Amino acid sequence: MSEIALAADFAIIVVVATIIGLIARQTGQPTIIAYILTGIILGPVAFDIVTDEGLVDLMAELGFAFLLFLLGLKMRFKDIQEILRPVTNVAFGQTVLQTALAFLVAWALGFDTTEILVIALATVFGATPIIVKILTDKDEITSMPGKIDVGVLIVQDIYLVIVLALFAADDLGGAADIATTLGVILVMISFIGIFSLASSRYVLPKLFRRVADNKEVFLIVAIAWAFLFVAIAEGADLSAKVGAFLAGISLAQLPYSKELEDRITPITNFFILVFFATIGLQIDGLNALLAYWWQAIVASIILMVGNFWIMFYLIDREGFSVETSFLGSINMIQVSEFSLIVGALALDQGLIESDVLGYLSLMALFTMSISTYVIAYNHTIYAKLEPWFRRFETEGDKSDALSHYRDHAIAIGYDDITEQALPKLEKRYSQVVVIDRRTDHVEELEQEGRYGYVFGDFRHTEVRKEANLKGADFVLSSSVEREVNEALLAEVADDATVFVEAERIDDARALYERGADYVIMSTHLTAEKLAEYVEAHTTDRHAFEEAIAGDLFEIAARQRRSRDRFTGQPGVGDRGGEHDD
Amino acid sequence: MTEQLIIALAVIFVAAGLLSLVANQFDLSPIPFYILAGLLIGGFEYVTQEEVLVLAQWGIAFLVFVFGIRLDFANVQTVLRDAEFAASIQLLVVGPIAFAIGYAFGDLFGFGEPVRNALYFSAAAVLSSSLVGGEVLRGEIRENLVHGRLASSIHFFDDLVALTLLLVITADAFTADAITSQLGYGVLFIAAGLFLYRHGFQILVRLADGDGELVLVGSISILIAFLAAAEYVGLSIVVGAFAAGIAIRDDGTNTLEVRNGIDSIADFFGAIFFVTIGALVSIPTVEVALVAAALVGVVLILNPLVHTLAFMYEGYDSRTAFLASSSLNQVSEFSLIIAIQALLLGTIVDAVFEAIILAAVVTMALTPAARRWKDRIFELVVSRVFRKQRTRKVDERSEVDGTIDDHVIVLGYGRQGRRIAERLEELDRPYVVIENDPMLWDELRANCRSYVLGDAMSAYSWEKAGIDRAALVVSTVDHRELSETICTLETDADLLLRSESSAEAEQLLDAGAAYVTVPNVVAGRELVEIVEALSTGEREISTLKREHLEMLDAIEHAGFASRYARY
Repeated sequence: MSEIALAADFAIIVVVATIIGLIARQTGQPTIIAYILTGIILGPVAFDIVTDEGLVDLMAELGFAFLLFLLGLKMRFKDIQEILRPVTNVAFGQTVLQTALAFLVAWALGFDTTEILVIALATVFGATPIIVKILTDKDEITSMPGKIDVGVLIVQDIYLVIVLALFAADDLGGAADIATTLGVILVMISFIGIFSLASSRYVLPKLFRRVADNKEVFLIVAIAWAFLFVAIAEGADLSAKVGAFLAGISLAQLPYSKELEDRITPITNFFILVFFATIGLQIDGLNALLAYWWQAIVASIILMVGNFWIMFYLIDREGFSVETSFLGSINMIQVSEFSLIVGALALDQGLIESDVLGYLSLMALFTMSISTYVIAYNHTIYAKLEPWFRRFETEGDKSDALSHYRDHAIAIGYDDITEQALPKLEKRYSQVVVIDRRTDHVEELEQEGRYGYVFGDFRHTEVRKEANLKGADFVLSSSVEREVNEALLAEVADDATVFVEAERIDDARALYERGADYVIMSTHLTAEKLAEYVEAHTTDRHAFEEAIAGDLFEIAARQRRSRDRFTGQPGVGDRGGEHDD
Repeated sequence: MTEQLIIALAVIFVAAGLLSLVANQFDLSPIPFYILAGLLIGGFEYVTQEEVLVLAQWGIAFLVFVFGIRLDFANVQTVLRDAEFAASIQLLVVGPIAFAIGYAFGDLFGFGEPVRNALYFSAAAVLSSSLVGGEVLRGEIRENLVHGRLASSIHFFDDLVALTLLLVITADAFTADAITSQLGYGVLFIAAGLFLYRHGFQILVRLADGDGELVLVGSISILIAFLAAAEYVGLSIVVGAFAAGIAIRDDGTNTLEVRNGIDSIADFFGAIFFVTIGALVSIPTVEVALVAAALVGVVLILNPLVHTLAFMYEGYDSRTAFLASSSLNQVSEFSLIIAIQALLLGTIVDAVFEAIILAAVVTMALTPAARRWKDRIFELVVSRVFRKQRTRKVDERSEVDGTIDDHVIVLGYGRQGRRIAERLEELDRPYVVIENDPMLWDELRANCRSYVLGDAMSAYSWEKAGIDRAALVVSTVDHRELSETICTLETDADLLLRSESSAEAEQLLDAGAAYVTVPNVVAGRELVEIVEALSTGEREISTLKREHLEMLDAIEHAGFASRYARY
């Protein structure tokens, strides 16, 4: 039995995608375009050496499911609560208005009736994977426009999931059938949704409190949770993605979700590559792709402009600032990846021919590749157009400022070293944030209630972002791992003061070279101190007693403090040890 | 089709998730529990379909890939120097014995290809697991204890042996020619990996221009290229994955992101691998049970015995030798990889395959448990057997002036120990160093007037050091059990101990220590002083940095820097 041969298609996709990705990187295009192109090049349109069957299909499916899981993970209710109402309004209006626009365009271009209907339903604007990916890369996913977009996309995704379920249903004889199917879908979704929310309240906190300290188990249990929901969704004849999304939402409400996001992101990136490639693979050939080439271009231009104004009008009407409305709308000017999925389904059901799928694909490619540039330069574009857009400004626009740490002090690791320094830091910098990846430490901090904290491994990008490392004035790291400290020194602002810890002299020197302001070396300090004490013991017993008295006091004081924190829970602070006093 | 696969994965992960919760609850390694999860869901036919097996092979590829990435070539020699003797002895003694047992089973049950199957059996018996054992040892390695260091060196040695074995067993025939060509290809692959490491990988990083995702995908592409090349020339994919891992540089700007990415993906596929391998085992027959029991016996009893003796012969005290050996008694994950590779090649009989998997589950699950009883086993068995030998060894290798009086006993001859010994020399105060690492013997002989090379947990070492006449005991070793032992010593000497946390320090103070240093508290106090001095403008940050660098130079010139890059 050959070993990897079965996965050869998949292997080819990854390698080709890497090569095209590296080329695309030189031209500033994001990886996603490279991945779609990979599919087109490897598929029937060009070389026809890869098919989207077997493992490739599985990985594409997994990629999409993981993407929605990740999306769910980012949905912290407390973050989107404030904008839930406006977002729902925008999403609703956008869906209705742009479907109507797509209908008109398709009608004007002379498609026949069934085709117009399919095209109108399939042409939904706003591609979740593209927007989420690029905004995440640009660090804007949690900005106000980013949140509005993601919120709209989620409401839209739920709508699309329903459309998909409808298209996939075998018999849709009359209005009654449609209504029943719709009802069943909605009931199922709400059931799973309620289960997910209930568990995030009652089961998950306890469960994850136990496993969060073990990196591997933490990841596997989280993935197991996602697959549990995928299986439930499959069992209920819903799309697997809905399950993954709901699983993500239920985990998002835990304090450990940032850390999890960072663990899941690479797996998603890996599989999503295959997913985007399969979009290209589905197009039947060059002829099918180009059958309606000029119609696709005309429709793309009209719909991109039209949809921008629809979104701008809707967001602006909810009272957001002009900049937010502009950015939120201009991010959404590409056809959703769902349009291809809906198109492929319609093709299966015999409602359209392959050339209409080609038209949809071309439109998707066209709008997606343009929009990646547009999103990448959204701020520059706005800066150019700002004077003209000012006219839409009205009094009382909502403030877009989101609370974030600024000019603060960060401590990495909550231990004997950092804990003593925290009060001093608090005095000097108004805010102190501790990053730690041990649940018991985070709980201690929570009880203390004095300092901000982020649960997670400093190695992870999301964790660093959450603590706003780039904006910190002072950073104190009690990690002795050189790579961690080097990454820290590379990322902090130039004028920030950085104290790091090192075990060896070589490391200390390297860290100083990279810009550390002070390197703490506890072993050498202790050696120095011990030698002093031993000398005192030898020469002057009284001096010895005096010298150690100070340290003993410190130890006792620290222990008292940690016991005070756990009043009512004797013995927690000292690991159940006994005391004979 | 895809739906079936998704369901198969759902079953795999839900089972793995549930059982890893159990593992986590009892603080055990999740790996045997993944395999156990596989055993439980083995009846579910979707799980063992061909596509899932392919995913499992990706699991193997990624596990080895990560091992290759973590391998630091500069360090290989230092690490191997610790282990080469004991590991080779174990290989030479246990290997043939296990081979004979395996061959006897083959004869008894009439296996086809008895030599190959005996080889698989003995590979499973000899090699120990760095994933499971290393996890268990993490605390010891961090605390810098000699036995932790020894055991992890042996793990590393075993992993390298496993890679070589994989080269050999994937040969079509056991002829000198076939094996030589396999080994030749293996060397070629590793050379290619090293070449990429030196010259190719930076190009990728430069082209990716700060995009961590592209570096990650590029690294996986390198993996794929090596796997394809390995397949093309008929090598095991494991060798390809290892060479690819060598090619990945883990320094530079995107390191953290890329390594985190590869770790996550490896954990994902690794879980699939371990579960699937469990799912391939059917309900064991008597035959399988017998072979598995024999394997467990060799791994749990013969292996530690040989390791212990080899370490002791090398000069380690019996406790260190026993503790190191007791974390080496499990079947290696590499043995599982060898087994599944053999299964795919069709050269292993089902009974041996299933026995290896079962033995792996049992021994991997027992490792953490064995660790909990290790002290009791040591006191009950090992210490009695070797009592005479222990005192003789200590006598032979120590140098203490019998009339020494009112002296200081310094425990540990690391950075702190050397510093203190130096200071005592200056003060002309008599002292005795107790150290248990024979690697330091030469240095002790050269630098110290009095020293005891022996186990500080055993009373004899203390007796030898003249504890009853000592004025002060200074411990630089941060190991709780040892500190507690010192507190129970019969002596009037003041005890200066060391501990990790102030909580432990307080307990040691209660137990009779005069003073306990907590490096973090010391460093914390210093830090507070510095922050205060900076904020009042008493000190300048730039002078602080300069002074500290000067001090580091001074320490280094005095010879107090750490000697080994790793320890």
